[in-house]
Amino acid sequence: MATVRAKGYAHWEGAPVERRFPWWPITRTGIMLAFRRKRFKFAFAMSFVPAFVFLVGLYVSERIDDFRHMIRGGNQLLNITPNYFKAYMTNDFLLLPIVFVLAFAGAGLIADDLKHNSLQLYFARPLRKADYVLGKMSVVAFFVLILTALPGIVLLIFKLVFAGSFKFLLDYPWLPLSILGVSALLTVFFSFGILLLSSLSDKSRYVTILVFMSYFFSDILFGILYGIFRKPALALFSIRANIQQAGAFLFGQKLPHAFAAGWSFLVLAGICLLAAAVLHRKVRSVEVIR
Amino acid sequence: MSAAVIRAESLSKWYGNVLGLSDVSLEIDSGITGLLGPNGAGKSTFMKLVTGQMKPNIGRVTVRGRRTWNEPSLYRSIGFCPEPDAFYEDVTGWQFLTGLLRFHGYGPAERAERAGRALEVVDLFKDKDRLIRGYSRGMRQRVKFAQAIAHDPEIVILDEPLSGLDPLSKRKLIKLIKSFRSEGRTVLVSSHVLPEIEALTTRIVLIHQGKILAQGDIPYVRELIEAHPHVISVRSSDPRRLASRFVADPAVQKMTFDPDGRTLVVESRQRDRFFDLLTKAALEAGVAIDEITSPDDNLQAVFDYLVGK
Repeated sequence: MATVRAKGYAHWEGAPVERRFPWWPITRTGIMLAFRRKRFKFAFAMSFVPAFVFLVGLYVSERIDDFRHMIRGGNQLLNITPNYFKAYMTNDFLLLPIVFVLAFAGAGLIADDLKHNSLQLYFARPLRKADYVLGKMSVVAFFVLILTALPGIVLLIFKLVFAGSFKFLLDYPWLPLSILGVSALLTVFFSFGILLLSSLSDKSRYVTILVFMSYFFSDILFGILYGIFRKPALALFSIRANIQQAGAFLFGQKLPHAFAAGWSFLVLAGICLLAAAVLHRKVRSVEVIR
Repeated sequence: MSAAVIRAESLSKWYGNVLGLSDVSLEIDSGITGLLGPNGAGKSTFMKLVTGQMKPNIGRVTVRGRRTWNEPSLYRSIGFCPEPDAFYEDVTGWQFLTGLLRFHGYGPAERAERAGRALEVVDLFKDKDRLIRGYSRGMRQRVKFAQAIAHDPEIVILDEPLSGLDPLSKRKLIKLIKSFRSEGRTVLVSSHVLPEIEALTTRIVLIHQGKILAQGDIPYVRELIEAHPHVISVRSSDPRRLASRFVADPAVQKMTFDPDGRTLVVESRQRDRFFDLLTKAALEAGVAIDEITSPDDNLQAVFDYLVGK
């Protein structure tokens, strides 16, 4: 049991020590609280399944003769090129688990603070609004990077280990940068996107639904519009299609849709800018009386 | 320039079309100052401006000469206890406090010591490992108070800190807040419950509809209210004989007798002169005075007069 000390008053004057990363306590709390949720833990564990499957694919591709009886006609599939990594990082194998993980871990990031009026406690501390947003974004970034950059680099390392040479890396020296580039793209986009949705309500349950709806609805909208008008540019309405278009560009692969990848980058950047504007308005320590 | 700890100059703040504060200028020295006003008067707005959580639309507010808006390093010296509950309910009291102390850059040992000390002070140490979800209203209020003092701030801003507390906890907290004064801290405490403020301090700031109505000690503020004569109640052995001595004096405006037959209630605009008169009259008439009270020389009366009730 701690002892109660007799407190003596010491006059406060100037130059207190600044914390180097004032946003870190927010990030730490966000990650800690995410792991308290059972649904999140399940979704997080399951989101590593694609990485494991792709890892097995790498192993099999290096020992294709041993597994020929099991993978009839799969030679093409297991021809490891940058496209294999692009497939891992931009297809639904990964995007869907990311959406699930973030829906459970990120929905409450700002919504819970709004619900519990915690912003006024945060902003009564040595903390700027930018630190707060950065702290929350770092929670999203932590999970996205764990599911993208980490497995991406690990897969590349295992490819070299299984092959027993650096030939693959010498053939595609830009591949690590592509992996990191797509990871950065997904991190930035999801960080802004999740925080935008989280700031729209003080009920994290609604935000979770909103996260799923935004992802799926945009894709459904694209499907419907494409069915009617048959214009490839309508893919710009789909979050998934834009990520895939931008991802294919960063991996130097054939673009899945017949328009310049720059448009997809613009759409994703536009959503990030919109999120920044909304966050600027919503993240404040006081309720606005209308 | 005086050595005011908190200084507001022509401070105005509005939310859309709603006026929060209007042209507020005041200085607050160290010690305890009560911010008094009905709900929606602008107390919380003022406190949030002082704690740097909002930017004033007009004017400025400084703490120790430094503007409070966007000055994170200044907030180390300020402790703020907001009125509404403001915590995650899925954390324990201990986690809540140590988590907030992280923002101040303390190491683990320092955090533990400060959190322990603050929880001891508010009698919550034994409940530190319980989830806040399971805390009673009083306990929530106390843990909120604990987070405001855990980093040992020089300036403590308390928005309705006593609401929801049982009488015993209330008394303890009042004692603790009063001890801050002797430590040289500056405490700004708001309430719409007048006896709570009276129990804490005589120095008040009366705020109503976003404007400062009065500021100073309670008797001083009462003196300033000229529209309402002072009410003085005199309990004596023969109130009517006493009253006959006052009839001719212009210092007395009105006299009534209480039904008990022993109390004379006098209304006067010149209180000091009336007291001189009373002493003289009692001596000359040989009337024994049992008790003299000023029923309207309290915060409730001052408040009622000022807000025009």
